[in-house]
Amino acid sequence: MKELTTDHISQQFNNELERLRQHFLTMGGVVETQVQDAVQSLLDSNGSLAEDVKDKEATVNQLDGLIDEECTRILAKRQPAATDLRMILSISKAVGELERIGDEAKKIANLTLNLIDEGESPRGYVEINRIGQMVSRMIHDTLDAYARLDIAAAVKVAKQDRAIAQEYNTAMRSLVTYMMEDPRSISRVINVIWVLRALERIGDHSRYICQHLIFMVKGVDVRHMHINDLANELGEK
Amino acid sequence: MSDAKTHSIDISAMQRSQQALRIEDEKVCLSVNDLHLYYGDKEALKGVNMVIPEKKVTAFIGPSGCGKSTLLRCFNRMNDLVDGCRITGEINLRDENIYAKGTDVAELRRRVGMVFQKPNPFPKSIYENVAYGLRIQGINKKRLLDETVEWALRSAALWDEVKDRLHESALGMSGGQQQRLVIARTVAVKPEVLLLDEPASALDPISTLKIEELIHELKNEFTIAIVTHNMQQAARVSDYTAFMYMGDLVEFGDTNSLFTNPSKQQTEDYITGRYG
Repeated sequence: MKELTTDHISQQFNNELERLRQHFLTMGGVVETQVQDAVQSLLDSNGSLAEDVKDKEATVNQLDGLIDEECTRILAKRQPAATDLRMILSISKAVGELERIGDEAKKIANLTLNLIDEGESPRGYVEINRIGQMVSRMIHDTLDAYARLDIAAAVKVAKQDRAIAQEYNTAMRSLVTYMMEDPRSISRVINVIWVLRALERIGDHSRYICQHLIFMVKGVDVRHMHINDLANELGEK
Repeated sequence: MSDAKTHSIDISAMQRSQQALRIEDEKVCLSVNDLHLYYGDKEALKGVNMVIPEKKVTAFIGPSGCGKSTLLRCFNRMNDLVDGCRITGEINLRDENIYAKGTDVAELRRRVGMVFQKPNPFPKSIYENVAYGLRIQGINKKRLLDETVEWALRSAALWDEVKDRLHESALGMSGGQQQRLVIARTVAVKPEVLLLDEPASALDPISTLKIEELIHELKNEFTIAIVTHNMQQAARVSDYTAFMYMGDLVEFGDTNSLFTNPSKQQTEDYITGRYG
């Protein structure tokens, strides 16, 4: 499958597809750092790092626009079929997910700045650290699977999302309990809750990217499938 | 601190590779000024103004009878051979009006070569087909001929397929190979411009793609103008596209823009298949 972009008679077409793939992975790299930095800035109360994360949004937006344009152009000029067509569709959707991951990272950066202003939350950093690491790992694995067109890895990553959801629920329960005990902390703890919520959303977006990857490679739409059925479905294909 | 720099991602470079070409930035190879062409009483070209940029591929699209082939034939005065054909206006090949009195038409046709829809190799060997134009020019030195034939066949992406049977008849080749042979024959005399009139419409899809890939290679050395019925082909191979309708040049612009966001409704209707 690795030759996905390199075996057309038209060298031009190969180049266009390869460039598109590269740009997508580049954008993935930027977003990945954005998320890591956002979590780190929060854990370290590092305002300038948080500002950095916000600044990177411009890069992400530019790449988003660029990739969109490339997809449009390839569709208009090459009338791609089969794998090529699915690759374009898949990337054009996955790019939207990346862009939203970037937005969530920016949200976390903003909340970091809030927390620096209002004072630290008394609780929640342990959870953020743990879930933050899980989510970073998940984005990393997602992009890795995308680069290698590795379906098995994509399924594995999609499964990580459930662990994150569980962690998220546990954290929520404990934070809600804390707020009930100490209502004065509510406004600060709420910031932390929003961060957790953002991380949880990032996990979702990563899972969607994996689904788009599976669609690209296998041609099956797995977006509305239960994770356990997914492995079976792919096994049969 | 620029965010792009912190990532060592040069977005502007990425964008540059995507930017639309601008005709103003191109060197002009051929320019057409107010060109009218009449077949008897019928006006087939109604005042065309455009430039063909150097070392780029310019495609002409439009419905049958819109005048695109007629216009292409004007570039090397093939219309002179049609009875009752009358032309006003001018076409300049590098500032030289090719319709000026005293133009050497044979020399013009060497400088502006043409390939037609149906491959038309001569009933001679592959080698002699390519060497033909050179021999006409009086070149008979074997070494020079050998070199040029090899160069032309390589340029036409045909050398590897025929190098062991150069002296076999050209008529034994497949259609796609014949068409590439004809292109080799045309480039052998080192023209400045290649006119391709539906060069791939008699070929199967794979041969078509090979010709398209060849066109892409050839534009490094030649200015290319291509007429095609196949809009997708125009989209794939050309840098600039001209859309013609009923003898008018409706829209002329860079291919990417024309196919993603044409500026005229007529063009939009044609390329989206809403008309004709």
